Amino acid sequence: MKSQIVYKIQRIFTNTIIHLLLLTVAVSCLYPMLWVAASSLKTQETVFKDTSLVPREWRFQNYVQAWREGGFGRHFLNSLVYTVLVVMGIVLVSSLAAYGFSRLEFPGRNAIFYIFLLAMMIPVPGSFVALYALLNKLRLRNTEVGYILAMINVGLSTSIFLLKTFFDKTPKELEDAARIDGCSKFGIWWNVALPLAKPVLAVVVVFNALNVWNEYLLALLIFDDRPKMPLQVALQTFQGEFLTNYPLLMAGLTITAVPIIILYLLMQKYIVKGVTQGAIVG
Amino acid sequence: MFKLVSKQIIIGLLIIYLSSLSFLGCSPAKTSLPSSGVTVVVWHWMTDRQPAFEELAQRYERQTGTRVKFELYAPSEAYSQKVRAAAQGENLPDIFGILASKKDFASFIKAGHVLDLTPYMEENSGFWRKSFFENALKTNVFVQDDAYGVKPGIYGVPIDTMVIQMLYNKKLYAELGFQANNPPATFQELLQVGQKLKGKDLQGFVSGWGEYWMLDCFANNYAFNIMGKDKVLATIRGEIPYTDPDWIKVFSLFKELTDAGLVSSGTITMVNKTAEQLFANERAVFAFNGSWCVNVYRSMNPQLDYGAFMPPPISDVYPMAIWGGAGSSFMVNARSKNKEEAVRFLQWLTQKEQQVFLAKHTHNLPANQQAMQDISGVLSEFAKNMPFVTHPNIWGISEFSSVIETFDRGLQSIILGQKSPQQVAYEVQKAKEKELARKKAQ
Repeated sequence: MKSQIVYKIQRIFTNTIIHLLLLTVAVSCLYPMLWVAASSLKTQETVFKDTSLVPREWRFQNYVQAWREGGFGRHFLNSLVYTVLVVMGIVLVSSLAAYGFSRLEFPGRNAIFYIFLLAMMIPVPGSFVALYALLNKLRLRNTEVGYILAMINVGLSTSIFLLKTFFDKTPKELEDAARIDGCSKFGIWWNVALPLAKPVLAVVVVFNALNVWNEYLLALLIFDDRPKMPLQVALQTFQGEFLTNYPLLMAGLTITAVPIIILYLLMQKYIVKGVTQGAIVG
Repeated sequence: MFKLVSKQIIIGLLIIYLSSLSFLGCSPAKTSLPSSGVTVVVWHWMTDRQPAFEELAQRYERQTGTRVKFELYAPSEAYSQKVRAAAQGENLPDIFGILASKKDFASFIKAGHVLDLTPYMEENSGFWRKSFFENALKTNVFVQDDAYGVKPGIYGVPIDTMVIQMLYNKKLYAELGFQANNPPATFQELLQVGQKLKGKDLQGFVSGWGEYWMLDCFANNYAFNIMGKDKVLATIRGEIPYTDPDWIKVFSLFKELTDAGLVSSGTITMVNKTAEQLFANERAVFAFNGSWCVNVYRSMNPQLDYGAFMPPPISDVYPMAIWGGAGSSFMVNARSKNKEEAVRFLQWLTQKEQQVFLAKHTHNLPANQQAMQDISGVLSEFAKNMPFVTHPNIWGISEFSSVIETFDRGLQSIILGQKSPQQVAYEVQKAKEKELARKKAQ
């Protein structure tokens, strides 16, 4: 009886500590988002004076103004197109490549794979000038195709690594059954490997979508024409060297965060599965 | 059958994907130009000036038929990267700005990216050149036998100017018992304000001293006042040691400001944006900031009642000097096929009428001397001290970066109470001697 009470007390105490810890993490994650949302409804003057999370005056017109002044309509569509096409490109190329690295025997297989891994170590800004020169030579600078190809290239190495790790763990016997049924290598990749890799693909989709949606440095470098630029570049309109229009910047940030939050919520089931299945091991 | 369907799906998806890419690829690679006339493309990073620039571009097109397209790329760090990459690929626009040190500016000139504007400046007995503030133009001038090795000439056009001075909150200053319209006239008067601050929940003095250059600027102002320009430049040349009593005085003034309670340890890690927020929100009596602050404070707190004044001098032997000069400049692409039109546009942009328009809409000081007559408010208080402006970029000689770093770190140590002015002077001199020895060995 006594030991049961002690056990209960211990459990309550442990649970309280764990929940307090989780609550602290949740608050520290949510607070910046709430601050952004609250600041987006304030004026430039009150954003510094009124530090509460509930603004005294709710200026919803900041959203309209940010949308109009930042030219968000066009840029929003651009970002949407770039994100969809880049993610499709990455999923297509990386899943094929990862499957090849995992299942096919060819000379230099490991060396090529390690070269891809090495590419993960190079930060994108480090390759800016080389990338610029390459796109310039290929006459792809200041074109949407150039940007999409460059962004596919940026996301490939990590995605190949994730997918290859997953394919390596998948039993080959599953594919043998398909092979006996007369499936080609390509058919096995499409009908067996890809459906099995859904959770990892979800991780690849979300990580890369997030990366493309939030990218602006490469876009700024590749594009000269403002109408071709993605949403994040439009946000920079509100951030000058000396002057930052905080309410409009925060309104813009809130607008840009919404689609990615929706995507995450839609795919969170797969992401959790992907993570628990060891998709992002290493 | 199953195999066939799956293949068809894959091929279908690939076709959709590739056709989307080809559709996007149909858009022209270059900026679309109107069928008639010339379009001058200008790259810049000044987000606050975009509406004013666009308005001026429309006016110019109405007057001349030449279209001017201002392309904005911000933030400034990303803009700098874009300009460097474009220079490598020889894709620079007709007009652009270089956000870098004079040494980097020189490397752009040496690579043939920047047009020498001297012949245009000297047309009609130097009419265009004479329209600018001399110190604003000097930032873009390279002279014979300077350290940069560039053919002497004028390589940029200042669009506006800036001056870094002291600012004070008139309301808070009056609440401390001083006359609102009489800011401290001497360094001793400034220190006296610190005495009145004791026990008050107010900061005395704020500035972006976490950014070394602002700290450097303040120290240099007083170095000019204490020992004069010639002695400062002689120190940089290595002819006078930093342990000279005049330099000890310069280092000591930071101790005096700290001891008086005007400067706190937080100031040394403060970035200028934080300092601006504190001053705009009436949390500090004094600030040390550039004339760009007029636009910043106006945006943060339109009701802020403040004034600008020269840093109060310590000595009356030499005049006080303040950092200033060109705020932002435009350069013409030497390889541009529109370079003549680009120069003509810049000549128009820097005429009095356009400069007054820019100053009124962007709250920055104009580069054209005549336009300064139409400036009012706090901006005019900044403007009146233009004759005292100096800047390291126009000295023709520059201090070793390691010496500047030791100098600035030393000043921070004095404010923190970790080192004495004498100790810092000794350390700076050691760093200087090390660099001089290395240079001699080369």
